[in-house]
Amino acid sequence: MPHQCTSCGRTFPDGSKEMLSGCPDCGGNKFQFKPAGATDDAPAGQTGPAADQTGPAADSSGSPGGASGSPADPADQSRPTPDEGSAPTADDGDAERRPSEPADATPTDPEANADAAAEPDGTEQIADRSDEDTAQASARSEVVSPDELDRASQDVEPSETPPAEAEPQPGIDALRDELNDQFESIRIVSPGQYELNLMELYDRQEYIISLQEDGRYVIEMPDAWGIQDE
Amino acid sequence: MGLLTNLRDSISRVTDGLFAADEPKRIGIYGPPNAGKTTLANRIARDWTGDAVGPESHIPHETRRARRKEDVEIERNGRKVTIDIVDTPGVTTKVDYKEFLDHDMEKDDAVRRSREATEGVAEAMHWLREDVDGVIYVLDSTTDPFTQVNTMLIGIIESQDLPALILANKTDLEGSDVQQIANAFPQHETIPLSALEGDNMDEVYTKIAEYFG
Repeated sequence: MPHQCTSCGRTFPDGSKEMLSGCPDCGGNKFQFKPAGATDDAPAGQTGPAADQTGPAADSSGSPGGASGSPADPADQSRPTPDEGSAPTADDGDAERRPSEPADATPTDPEANADAAAEPDGTEQIADRSDEDTAQASARSEVVSPDELDRASQDVEPSETPPAEAEPQPGIDALRDELNDQFESIRIVSPGQYELNLMELYDRQEYIISLQEDGRYVIEMPDAWGIQDE
Repeated sequence: MGLLTNLRDSISRVTDGLFAADEPKRIGIYGPPNAGKTTLANRIARDWTGDAVGPESHIPHETRRARRKEDVEIERNGRKVTIDIVDTPGVTTKVDYKEFLDHDMEKDDAVRRSREATEGVAEAMHWLREDVDGVIYVLDSTTDPFTQVNTMLIGIIESQDLPALILANKTDLEGSDVQQIANAFPQHETIPLSALEGDNMDEVYTKIAEYFG
């Protein structure tokens, strides 16, 4: 019984689709994975922390459940994958148990080789059934290293660029305007400490004659000739 | 505004050009703080008028108001050039009173000096825009010339089409590197000098007459 709901303890067979919409019994979406070869005593120490996580996790189970709510359709298998991917990621908190897993998992399933061979990166050296896609297997099989997580998050951003790219443009312009507004010709950092924007000082027609202690300053206005030009 | 301002500047330039023979050119002495601008201004003024322009100091921002010395007649190779020298406060992007505390200055005095120095930079930038016909840009040849201030000011001077003479000052000091300044502004001629010692002033005057005559 490789998958076990951390909330109610119900177990599911490896590759089961029942749990894709959350635990049918309690609705929990946190599961721990225990390969067939693993000993049964491991989960005992994990139920504590895992149970703590079920509260908030259960709240968020609605949308993933909805997205993967058509387990009967085999063509839909690619869609549950991200959801399935997130569930084992939550399990990654059990780092002390994980490292031993791949070694245990590899020999458990004799059918693994066929699907694993199709994977170009060769990481899918683990149990994989015909009714389970490789991403699912991958997600279960390995602990994601922090580096991989970083890279993955960076890779995701470019793929989302169409919506994301449209937003930064006005954002950058707005930011630039804001910065321009903020960057006055003379910025009083603190009494006796000043930052000067030379271009702004050069560009302005009036010029600052004297600065006051309270941040006010006296300027010499352009002559009448200049004002009429404005 | 910009267009009309430019127009006014252009008219002003043309007008200045028409009266060039009569009106002395206003030559601004610009540069970062402590480059030796006042020392140079005093050297020029003393050499040709007998008077000084203002007090010199090793403390930065000694000159906090632009000072003008008018009708300085410089004779070179039988040719007479009359200029008004405007010694300007050192231009910088940051003024901090703490740098004055190292010069045995009380905090109140340092803060006041800092404020006046800031006003001085504003005034210098204003003069550069409104009131100079040429620029003598003074750099301390013992320091790195690749600074934001130098790049920006030289850029402004070039954009104004002002004649500019770049002087690599303090050649009497160890560590003086004139070539570094020449490399930084290859589009301009760089003249080495020691305004303090009066070294190479002959060439400086020749160039002043050539550039601003």
